[in-house]
Amino acid sequence: MRSQNEFSYGGDATVKRPELNKDISDQEWNDFVYNRKSLRGKHWELWQHLSGCRQWIKVERDTATHEIFNTLKANEDISQ
Amino acid sequence: MTQSFRLENVGLINRNKKISFKFNGKKYYGYEGDTLASALIANGVHLIGRSFKYHRPRGFFGAGVDEPYAIVQLYRNGETEPNIKATEQELFDGLVATSVNCWPSVKFDIGAINNFLKIFLPAGFYYKTFMWPKSFWYKVYEPFIRKAAGLGVASIKHDKERYEHKYEYCDLLIAGSGPSGLASAYAAAKNGARVILAEEKSRFGGTLLTSDVNIGNKSGKEWAEGIIAELTEMPNVTIKNRSQVFGYYDHNMLVMSERISDHLPKTKKFHPKQRLWYIRAKEVLISAGSIERPIVFGNNDTPGVMLSSAAKEYLKVYGVLVGKKPLIFTNNDSGYETAIEFKKNGIDPIILDTRENPQSEIVDDAKELGINIKFSYVVVAAQGYKKVKSADIAKISVNKEELGEIENIKCDCICVSGFWTPTIHLASQSGNKTKFNENIDAFVPGKSKQNETTLGAANGVYTLDETLKSSFETAHELSKKITNNDNKISFPNVIEKKSTTHDKFWCVPLPKGKNYKRFLDFQNDVAVSDIEIALKEGYRSIEHVKRYTTLGMATDQGKTSNLNGLQLVSKIENKVVPAVGHTTFRPPYSPVSIGAIVGREVGKHSKPTRKSPMHNWHEQNNAVFVDAGVWLRPRYYKIGDENLFEASKREAKNVRTNVGVCDVTTLGKIDIKGPDAGELLNRVYTNAWLKLPVGKARYGVMLREDGIVMDDGTTTRISENHYHMTTTTAQAANVLSHLEYYLQLVWPELNVNVVSTTEQWAGAAIAGPKSRDLLQKLFPSCDVSKEGLPFMGYMEGDLFGVKARIFRISFSGELAYEVNVESDNGNFMWEKIIEVGQAFKIQPYGTEALSTLRIEMGHVAGSELDGRTIPYDNSLEGLVSKKKDFIGKRSLTKEAFTAEDRQKVVGVVPLDKKTSIPEGSHLVKDSNAPLPNPKLGFISASCWSVEYDNPFSLAILKDGKNMIGKKLFVMSPLKNKVIPVEIVSSHYVDPKGERVRS
Amino acid sequence: MQKYSIFNLVKNALSNHENWDLAWKDPTPKKEYDVVIIGGGGHGLATAYYLAKEHNITNVAIIEKGWIGGGNVGRNTTIIRSNYMYDDNALFSEFGMDLWRSMSQDLNYNVMFSPRGIINLAHSDAQMNIYARRGNSMRLNGIDAVLLNREQVKEIIPMADFSENVRFPIFGGLMQPSAGTARHDAVAWGYARQADSMGVDIIQNCEVVGFDVSNGKIKGVRTSRGDISAKKIGLCVAGSTNILAEKLNMTLPIETHLLQACVSEPVKPVLDRVVTFGAGHFYISQSDKGEMVMGGDLDGYNSYAQRGNLPTLQHVLTEGIAMMPFLSKLKMLRTWGGIMDMSMDGSPIIDKTHIEGLYLNCGWCYGGFKATPASGWTFAHTIAQDRVHKLNSGYSLNRFNTGHLLDEKGLGTRTWIS
Repeated sequence: MRSQNEFSYGGDATVKRPELNKDISDQEWNDFVYNRKSLRGKHWELWQHLSGCRQWIKVERDTATHEIFNTLKANEDISQ
Repeated sequence: MTQSFRLENVGLINRNKKISFKFNGKKYYGYEGDTLASALIANGVHLIGRSFKYHRPRGFFGAGVDEPYAIVQLYRNGETEPNIKATEQELFDGLVATSVNCWPSVKFDIGAINNFLKIFLPAGFYYKTFMWPKSFWYKVYEPFIRKAAGLGVASIKHDKERYEHKYEYCDLLIAGSGPSGLASAYAAAKNGARVILAEEKSRFGGTLLTSDVNIGNKSGKEWAEGIIAELTEMPNVTIKNRSQVFGYYDHNMLVMSERISDHLPKTKKFHPKQRLWYIRAKEVLISAGSIERPIVFGNNDTPGVMLSSAAKEYLKVYGVLVGKKPLIFTNNDSGYETAIEFKKNGIDPIILDTRENPQSEIVDDAKELGINIKFSYVVVAAQGYKKVKSADIAKISVNKEELGEIENIKCDCICVSGFWTPTIHLASQSGNKTKFNENIDAFVPGKSKQNETTLGAANGVYTLDETLKSSFETAHELSKKITNNDNKISFPNVIEKKSTTHDKFWCVPLPKGKNYKRFLDFQNDVAVSDIEIALKEGYRSIEHVKRYTTLGMATDQGKTSNLNGLQLVSKIENKVVPAVGHTTFRPPYSPVSIGAIVGREVGKHSKPTRKSPMHNWHEQNNAVFVDAGVWLRPRYYKIGDENLFEASKREAKNVRTNVGVCDVTTLGKIDIKGPDAGELLNRVYTNAWLKLPVGKARYGVMLREDGIVMDDGTTTRISENHYHMTTTTAQAANVLSHLEYYLQLVWPELNVNVVSTTEQWAGAAIAGPKSRDLLQKLFPSCDVSKEGLPFMGYMEGDLFGVKARIFRISFSGELAYEVNVESDNGNFMWEKIIEVGQAFKIQPYGTEALSTLRIEMGHVAGSELDGRTIPYDNSLEGLVSKKKDFIGKRSLTKEAFTAEDRQKVVGVVPLDKKTSIPEGSHLVKDSNAPLPNPKLGFISASCWSVEYDNPFSLAILKDGKNMIGKKLFVMSPLKNKVIPVEIVSSHYVDPKGERVRS
Repeated sequence: MQKYSIFNLVKNALSNHENWDLAWKDPTPKKEYDVVIIGGGGHGLATAYYLAKEHNITNVAIIEKGWIGGGNVGRNTTIIRSNYMYDDNALFSEFGMDLWRSMSQDLNYNVMFSPRGIINLAHSDAQMNIYARRGNSMRLNGIDAVLLNREQVKEIIPMADFSENVRFPIFGGLMQPSAGTARHDAVAWGYARQADSMGVDIIQNCEVVGFDVSNGKIKGVRTSRGDISAKKIGLCVAGSTNILAEKLNMTLPIETHLLQACVSEPVKPVLDRVVTFGAGHFYISQSDKGEMVMGGDLDGYNSYAQRGNLPTLQHVLTEGIAMMPFLSKLKMLRTWGGIMDMSMDGSPIIDKTHIEGLYLNCGWCYGGFKATPASGWTFAHTIAQDRVHKLNSGYSLNRFNTGHLLDEKGLGTRTWIS
């Protein structure tokens, strides 16, 4: 168990960056850059172990209770 | 003065050590082991302060953390602290304390006039008045109210004390060392668990110190002492007194404050005053006990009215009588225990019991002792102003609504017991949804939310037998789960007096024709009538009631008032208490010193300070430093009486004419390695990177995905798969994280590794027309000629035996180089450059001269790349590839970003060529236009051009590209300046960039 | 309606305070309203008040999940200011300042607006220049601003750290003398009382469970207390915006984050200005009760918890002591958290939506309290006229498409970095 102070937040983990050179609509691009669901309850999000191994990880956390359910490495896909 | 209320041979204080102290200027004596409260009561002092709103006299109500009244200003070791609870402050030799919130003195307080005006000052009165005339609130009424409010006085002196932090892990954290705390600590410890046991008071044992019980043929106190002695010896146990667990946070993180020196006349050398413990516990046992609650009656705030449990504690722990003619007013058996203790010590109490005919062992004991008990009796009102002198009492009907004839009996204190409220704060903070227990008229913890279990009185369990049993069992089970051990300890035989049920009576009705104030919240002066008004006016949610009346918002946070407030609301609203619900419990359980929360990160240590390896040299050479993020950088090097302007001008001029050297160690440096490194750069930067040859550097700009410039810098291809990236000082950390984000999450297929090397390299920028000559002398074996090391070239060299990297890059727009060596050699490099450079009239230059040089060359930096500009704004369109995709490119097509009149960086010169233009000024067309005057742009950077010897500025200007040659006004209303200016190209000096390439 | 005044107070005192009227009623929701405002916070209550007062629309309901004023209007640090750099923000806020100045009289409810001035401390010449840019912009917009040097700051707030042992020395500061504080709860209650008196139904304990939309038009709202039809619906729910947006199949440039604040125990007056730290993110003022009211950084992760963790507060208070070392000896009395609707450029949204009759008011980040009157006023205008007012024309939802962003801090979309 590591201190929260060692980690930095990286936002919604389900947002996918559009592929390079792909022709996409303004809406798709804005959904990536600006628009977020940010709901109450379970939330997959990114954290970086900034003051540590510097790995980005994916964390499933409850935004209402702060309970943590699940973690994945950067290269693992969120199954739901 | 004698301690006339002190008993002989009773109590746990050290009578061998007499201690002198002062209260309100008068000298008193107490004993070691006293609190300020117990010592004052021993001396017969009951008037301690004045209440918040009506300035009514205030005495002592409790004996610990729940105290609402007894707040003093403390003086200790030349410093002062406001709002100290006298019931918590341990006595030390030379302690000095004074009353708060009264003037001129606690005995004669002018503010008490409010007490006579109180009918005009009901809950929320201030919302209804003080509105006319309009300006009077801020100018007249509010200053008056502010002065009247507040409690103690905050000294604005810096705190000399030290506070520390400690991080700890344990299997079981046990909060509270009463019966359940001790039992569970013992059971868990014997089962091999790592235990931390925390007790907020100085003595362990909780109620065992005051109750008349027998555990395993020992008195409660002896049993507690035996357990503590055993626990102290165990290596897997940490026991801490004067330590309060005040906060229950996420993931079983609890925070405890330990008072290490507050009970001493002064803090010992190298000791902290307090220590904050962050404790991550596998399991938490909350054994925080319960707090006795008052019964509400007329003038129940008069000094001398106090909790019966407090009276018992003063007697049994401190050997102090709170009065010699006590009246006990109770609705349950607890009051009898206090009465019995009085009686045993030769004092005749009178008990008023609201119950009609209670049957229990304790009641029988009291009867046997010959104590005068009046059943179905209540205190209607306390009489006396600065101290209870008598009580109006009356018989009360079975339905508790009718009062009999009022009688007045003499007494000097009224000890009240309205039953017990479990301390559920920690459980509630953990997220536990509390539930209402009808049997005890109070909330208890519900289902555990985190790994927490509440035991004993805190869980509404009020018999010792049951408390010990459940604590032993729970602690055993939890520790077994953790340690896999199964060492059970035998359960001791418990003898305790059986008590019977309490009476659900908590508020004495007003007698006809009387309008006594019946207080709920004693510190904030919230009375029954205030709650009634709030509800009448529609403030019906319990949160509205709290906020409108300030119930429970004082420094005791409603520990003795909240539940009675709820009962009142539920009665008036005709709802059950759980339907009214309680307000949220939040940390801290009781106030925590801000110094303790902050710890050692104060003064110079509030944030880290980073220094380059050449820092000492700069210091020795009269550098004046400037904060650059967490770094310190030389701003200029002072010669003689030079000021900033003169020094930076001299330094800049020397760069333009001879050669200068600047410490650029603080720039972020990132090592990038791997076969796909070029591809990564090509995606991160806006310009093309795939064809950069080995041994060459390139300038690049990177964007955020929203199209805004994130950072700029040069990256050099050291070898085939190895690049060295530089970032600005400010963005170094963000850029690294940015690269890691894309490599790990977005493009994991790229075979690249990145690592920060900012600290690995010391950097020196050598700039000026003579820089090449100097460089040649520094690296005689390298060919640093124009051809050998062209602009943006890179080579490795040997600097007098030290390996060095040489980059031909320029921050200043001059012919310039940057030399990097490993940090340990930084100072050596610097001294060599200075030494060899003497022949070329070298001078070190600081950030101010560097700014001047880059500004007049039109190089954009931090104030132009301010998180709001796109590359086009900074005339960097040449660097934006049209062919390839890169981070943020898609955003550059936005309407606002491509607008015809989009802002752009320009140069600004005052028409008189003399007046300096303050940074942060704005450009307008008409300096006399009415406000709001439309702004066309702002001055981002200003300097005195050493090339042309006149002021020059950069500005971000709307429609900048079409404004060259136009005349505008620079306005700085803050500095009362209007300066006519001409807009020129941002590349003021050497617009073609010939020098860097020379 | 009963008028609040010193005379009435005395009169009621003599009748034992038994004749005070309800500040607002507790009506059962009607089947249909002209306008339903969702969210009984400061902005929602103000919107209803201005709909009635300025536009004569009184067939209005405010529906509130909990109790009115229980969200951020009751959880903020009560600071009121208009010290913005961008014109859209500055002119909007300054319009609000005018409403603040006369609010107590307008509402006949003492909201205790106290123009005690705000000082933003600067800790380097570069920061002084950044503040100059903002201050000059304010002045050119007709807003008061003064640039203070170190000595001037010292004269006003001598308790700040002017010693040698300081990590970030004070170089000066930007002051808006007309900025200040107000009693937050009173603002909600004052608006509620007046709105109620003009016929607005304030419906508490009423949770929205869904919307009725057909053919791109809003028809009504489904609540825990039954379906309510409405011609127009205004969303004014701050930290719960994302939750309601989901029920409307909208995804917004908003994230919900947690901001903690705390107060110290009350002490006698020692600080009579609002002060912000320039080398971090910390602000402080002293309430009329004597408590130091302090706040700072977001906890930094999406949250609806209204409860935070200690490391964030520790960080905030570290900056507090760095700025004013005397705070060390005070005690932290109470902490709490609020959930913030953080927009992607730090500025709010007051706009129509793609659904006809549905209006959006959100994105206040941690600056919602001071905006209460101007937000209510412009939102009421937008709803009543079905078009945005000039004052809120910059607060369009579409700016994230066009790039006309209002990023005062230049931090971009990482809203959790404050």
